[in-house]
Amino acid sequence: MRGKVATLDFVVNGPPGGAQLRGPEPRVAGRPLDPLNEWGDNVLWWLDRMIRTTHPLQEKLTLFWHDHFATSEQETPLMLAQNRMFRARALGSFRDLLGDVTRDPAMQLFLSLADSTKDAPNENYARELMELFTLGTGYSERDVREAARALTGFTADWHDDGAVTIQYDADEHDDGVKTLLGRRGPFGVDDVLDLVTAHPNHAPFLVSKLWSFFVATPPSRTTVRALVATYRVNDLHIKPLVRAILEHPQLYRNLDAPDLVKCPVVYVAGALRTTHTFIKQDYASWMLTTMGQQPFYPPSVAGWDWGPAWMSSNAMRQRFTLGNYVVEFGRPRVLRGSAPATLTPQEAYALAWSAVGEPQVSAATRAALTNLAAHFFDDLDPRWRDQADWRGEALQSTLRHLLIVCPDSQLH
Amino acid sequence: MPRSVYKGCDDFRQTSAGARERWLAPQLTRRQALMGALGGGLTIWANQAMPFARVFEAAEAQAASLPDARVLVSVFLPGGCDLLDTLPPIGAYGQYADLRGGMKLEAPPALGATGLGIHPSLAEGLNGGVKGLFEAGKVGFMPGIDYANPDLSHFHSRHFWETGLITERAAPGWLGRWLDHHGSRDNPLQGLTLSSTLSPVLATASAPVAALESPSDVALDVWGIGGQQERQMLAAWDRMSAVGARGDGPQAVHDAARLAKSVGDRLAPYAEHDDVDPLAPPVAYPEEDDLGRRLSRVAALVAQPLGVRLASVDANGEFDTHDNQPTELADSLRSVSQSLAAFQADLEARGVADRVLTLVWSEFGRRPEGNESSGTDHGAGGIAWVQGTHAASGVLTEYPSLTDLDRDDNLEVTVDFRKVYASLIEGWLGTDANEVIPSANAYGRLALVR
Repeated sequence: MRGKVATLDFVVNGPPGGAQLRGPEPRVAGRPLDPLNEWGDNVLWWLDRMIRTTHPLQEKLTLFWHDHFATSEQETPLMLAQNRMFRARALGSFRDLLGDVTRDPAMQLFLSLADSTKDAPNENYARELMELFTLGTGYSERDVREAARALTGFTADWHDDGAVTIQYDADEHDDGVKTLLGRRGPFGVDDVLDLVTAHPNHAPFLVSKLWSFFVATPPSRTTVRALVATYRVNDLHIKPLVRAILEHPQLYRNLDAPDLVKCPVVYVAGALRTTHTFIKQDYASWMLTTMGQQPFYPPSVAGWDWGPAWMSSNAMRQRFTLGNYVVEFGRPRVLRGSAPATLTPQEAYALAWSAVGEPQVSAATRAALTNLAAHFFDDLDPRWRDQADWRGEALQSTLRHLLIVCPDSQLH
Repeated sequence: MPRSVYKGCDDFRQTSAGARERWLAPQLTRRQALMGALGGGLTIWANQAMPFARVFEAAEAQAASLPDARVLVSVFLPGGCDLLDTLPPIGAYGQYADLRGGMKLEAPPALGATGLGIHPSLAEGLNGGVKGLFEAGKVGFMPGIDYANPDLSHFHSRHFWETGLITERAAPGWLGRWLDHHGSRDNPLQGLTLSSTLSPVLATASAPVAALESPSDVALDVWGIGGQQERQMLAAWDRMSAVGARGDGPQAVHDAARLAKSVGDRLAPYAEHDDVDPLAPPVAYPEEDDLGRRLSRVAALVAQPLGVRLASVDANGEFDTHDNQPTELADSLRSVSQSLAAFQADLEARGVADRVLTLVWSEFGRRPEGNESSGTDHGAGGIAWVQGTHAASGVLTEYPSLTDLDRDDNLEVTVDFRKVYASLIEGWLGTDANEVIPSANAYGRLALVR
């Protein structure tokens, strides 16, 4: 057992030398993934990283940034390039990340920053930059207009192969004086990004949002103050902030009763990772869509609705369906002869629990499943029990399915 | 800018996705989708927690108390349907041909003695399609429909039509507002969207509404076991879900787990079993057609005692015909004609046609002069129609002039869509239009119901 400090070090820093992917390469229907050309393979490519990475926190933060800087419906090459950028910057400086996001082709096209010129400045990016990306509140409509002027000058070049590059054309930039967030000057792109990240509302806004990604209970004012201090003293770097959140006592208060609803991506990737199931079919990709979270297609620039909003009768029905696939195609598949009908209910339960990666399960769930095991043979003449291995195997599949999809497995 | 890699226009793509989210009132986001739906099942939106068992009791109670309640169905043609090719003005064919050049319709069939023609695709389907319905006195066309100073953004115009308000602010839909005033407090099936997500037309401030793609896609799916063992498995699921949970997240999970099973149980009588579909239509709908499939479910559910009052369906055609309009529009209108003709025959066969009126609409019309890509750009003065055994028949509004265009070379608007809404609310739903449409009296009324 590592101590808490060493464990946190590992969780935050990952292995020395950086993240690696362990285990078999992903395939669909026998072929390697083709994320650029095959529908859904982009999602499988990312899910595979989540399943096989030796540094899961990096993928989690990549997901956080995908939601925070939500970009949608852009060409796949652009979205994958953006995803790599999020991963590279996931735990680094927020200001550097913001600089890359602002110049990112997918984002530039999504929020009309490309081809926003001094003669026709487009306010779309300037508004979301303040409202959703950095401040939340504390700016005026005039700040939006002035920031839009300062952000002019980017142009998009479309290439024959579908690639898009962003150029900066000083002739299209408005170099006049702007009044922005109480300051005056001939501001340009990086001035805007410096001003919004230096604004007093930025740090509380960002730390509260990042906190909510890990903890269901909103942070107290004291907690926000402490996290803001950590964030600022570390020059707006994310890693020390995440670490401070992960060591907060609040996170350890109810370890045996998790209360944060898993988003579909975390639920699916988690179910596959904990059962050592690798990508060999495409179900995980389209099932995410049916559960309400299609990666690379957030519903709007505001990202997804998190928390209890993930839950609904139909989303739960889809989460239930995932269990069929994992038990049919994944590592928890029940092998012939591996689960005799003569196991006691407790033995059958223990076998299933260990086969799905020993997940955290409440006493109530455990009781319901043991009870199911005890009554699964009720309609069978006891004399036939030792010849009814098929029934024992059906019970194993059923228990494993329910363990993967049960209410406990929806929370973390 | 070489953005022609995209079909249609950027604005339209945006309209159908992301940016629209913020146009829905904040209280109507998924946060209050008690039973939400993506990929099939039933979603219910309500302002307060509602025990699921009560949903169907309420539905049946409402149906029992108003067995003959009138139903209004909204059919949206997304993208901006072209008036000139839908109802070509054969009385002014020379002007029409000049405007449309090589993309014009050659010798379109006449629409009775109206001086207008009709797109040949609208003559396809059971009993002569929409043209046949017109000749049978079951369709009233409203050419020139729009609003003053039309906004040619899909996004804005669609929002105006959906809400019945010329506002950029978030607001409930116009049919949603009617439910807020006159709907049931506890029957979400009263306002039904045939889709996996709520139609903005039916977004409410307080009344519960529902979205459903198919009643056959709601049961919990179990592979490999059946009968007694499957029942035991689902009983175990019930026991795990029934556990009391503390905190919003665990509560939401356990509620959803319980609902997931009870929805399936309750809709089982309407679901397909062993290839037998209890809602199977008595008439033939076009094959592989989403609009037809959805309308067939509307007809079936209206005929059940579920208290459906308002339903919203989107056509799946391509009406944003910037390019290649002759082919695109012909295909889209064919689907509309075949689906609506089957829908009408279905309602009549089920004996509920006298209770149902359908409004077909689109967010704007198109530019009279064709563009360089055999298409048309966004314009004003569009087309809508009412359909049903009680629909006023004929051409109900003035056809815009092809020579007196507005300052942007678009058709003049001859009827405000809010006049149509007000007329439907009073003439069909039988309530005061001013409750739903602000200053409704300013628009006057059309006789849309007979």
